Amino acid sequence: MARAGYNLRTSYLESNEVLRRPYQKVLVLFVLFTALLLPAVSSNFFVHLLNLCFLAAIGALGLMILTGYCGQISLGHAGFLAIGAYTTAILTIHLKAPFIVVLPAAAICGVIAGFIVGLPSLRFRGVYLAISTLAMHYAIVFLATTYQSNFTRSASAGITIPDPSIGPFLLKGDITWYYFLLAFLTLVTIVCVNLMRTRPGRAWMAIRDRDIAAEALGINLARYKLLAFVMSSTLASISGSLMAYYSNVVTVEAFTLDLAIVYIAMIIVGGMGSILGALMGAAFITLLPYGIDTVFEFLPRSWRFGSSVFGVQVGAVGLFIILFLLFEPRGLAEIWRRIETYFERWPFRYRPLETVRR
Amino acid sequence: MESAATVLISTCTYALLAAGIVILYKAGRVVNFAHGELAIVGGFVFYSTGLMSDNSLVLAILGAAVFSIVMGSIIYVTMMRRVVGEPFYVAILITIGIAIVLKSAIIVIWRAPRLTIDVGVTPAIRLPDGATLSYMDLASVLLTAAFFICLFLFFRFTRLGIQFRGTAENPLLASQRGVNVNFVLSLAWVIATLAATLSGVLYGGRAFLSTESASIGLAGLTAALVGGLDSLRGAVVGAFIVALAQYLTVRLIDPVLSEALPFLILLLVMSIRPWGLFGTVEELDRV
Repeated sequence: MARAGYNLRTSYLESNEVLRRPYQKVLVLFVLFTALLLPAVSSNFFVHLLNLCFLAAIGALGLMILTGYCGQISLGHAGFLAIGAYTTAILTIHLKAPFIVVLPAAAICGVIAGFIVGLPSLRFRGVYLAISTLAMHYAIVFLATTYQSNFTRSASAGITIPDPSIGPFLLKGDITWYYFLLAFLTLVTIVCVNLMRTRPGRAWMAIRDRDIAAEALGINLARYKLLAFVMSSTLASISGSLMAYYSNVVTVEAFTLDLAIVYIAMIIVGGMGSILGALMGAAFITLLPYGIDTVFEFLPRSWRFGSSVFGVQVGAVGLFIILFLLFEPRGLAEIWRRIETYFERWPFRYRPLETVRR
Repeated sequence: MESAATVLISTCTYALLAAGIVILYKAGRVVNFAHGELAIVGGFVFYSTGLMSDNSLVLAILGAAVFSIVMGSIIYVTMMRRVVGEPFYVAILITIGIAIVLKSAIIVIWRAPRLTIDVGVTPAIRLPDGATLSYMDLASVLLTAAFFICLFLFFRFTRLGIQFRGTAENPLLASQRGVNVNFVLSLAWVIATLAATLSGVLYGGRAFLSTESASIGLAGLTAALVGGLDSLRGAVVGAFIVALAQYLTVRLIDPVLSEALPFLILLLVMSIRPWGLFGTVEELDRV
């Protein structure tokens, strides 16, 4: 069948294709294959880092749905993660519930939390909505603090969570977790990619691009905005629950506003409105502190005074938020797209098709 | 009497912060999430220039003023001016980025986990029932009052102030009538940073400065929202409400709750009267 080029989609079926370019399929298979073989050749620490990336990516995909696709900015993502983590803590400590019960339960709590936090989006948009999610974040953290201080009798100690097991398999050790998280993330990614091709996904993008026009097209704004909040918080909650199991500890200090901002940094650096961007951004921001640490190893000793490494690690996230917003607002995904276009058009140097920037 | 003094003094801190947030919102429809950090860094600059120059007040004030002017104009010229016309979240997220960078600057440059300043702790005035006010408290109240009076006079009577109000009303029309909009907007950032620095200096004088104390910015934001994001008068009233509520929770209910309290007030206000007490209804970006 003759094609009108990769960027022009001429039929409904074509517009629904995910991997349009033949080499993309090869690339995806290659990446998955490498990922499967990786633990055999790399150090345990690197596998641990990748696990952290996978965990972050699940949460980042959630935020990407809400902010990148539906255009509703949320500063309460850490709150959603906390919901998942604390559901896990409460269920495993008090009820000794197994992993396969806790994870769906965390997802359901995420649904409820997303619904509640999403309610203000029916009345506000823009700045006011962002501030109301911020308020929700503090409300959730307050509840978590109260629970934790009642439970442990001391605010500083966290709640310890035993290693989970699925049936006879005990999820323990970096490599076991690696395969589990890899499978889980692949599943979540496929769900997200497909979600964007269905009615809700298209409705979200319409709402993001112009909510009044979307409403005029017959999209039920209230319903789809709430759905976006629910999807986002469900994914975050699952991610929070897995994090709790992976790190074996739940503590309220982990769920600060800074964590929510780190997730925002992931989707900005990755690129708003791109699933690939969420994955790239999650990996970039998760590995950033370790990268900075490595760079500091090479610097003269006098530079490493006191807490300066920590300070730089904190500041780099903010710096990257600013730099990407100013100079590359569509993020790493756009850089990747430009590279693709360059090789596709080679040896001609047409300017790549600009996507419309609002 | 003592409780009244405590509430009054926190009102001053919050009112200054809220004023800065309101000015920025009016000028460019930007909500500044970095205001607490600006305040704390300003406070650090003030006290460390003071310490370095043998407690010279003049040099400390000069240092803080230079910091505010440079910082405010840098933020506007290098970042905020470039994102005009972008989606609303870009400006907000940039201020969040600035907040993080400032926080890390505190860690890298000053290193000290917290800075406590010993100034004017000796009681200056004894109130009738045994309560005392320190010089710092007195300075807080007087300087805040002076700041608001200057602001009022500036917006009301000076040519620049009128240009400022015109820009806030409609930047395009203002620029067509010959107002230098870029200058006015960078001035807004400078004034807001000055207010933040002043509030950081006053806050540092009676509590302590650290990366954690940057959360006063969020209390200031709440105060601005309670009063109405586009109303300076509202900023003062909002600050008073937040300070009073915070004081009452600490005394009567639970100190832990006071952390979350500004946001509970926020949720309450947003569900009942989202445009704030003195804000204009049309300003609200509603669905």
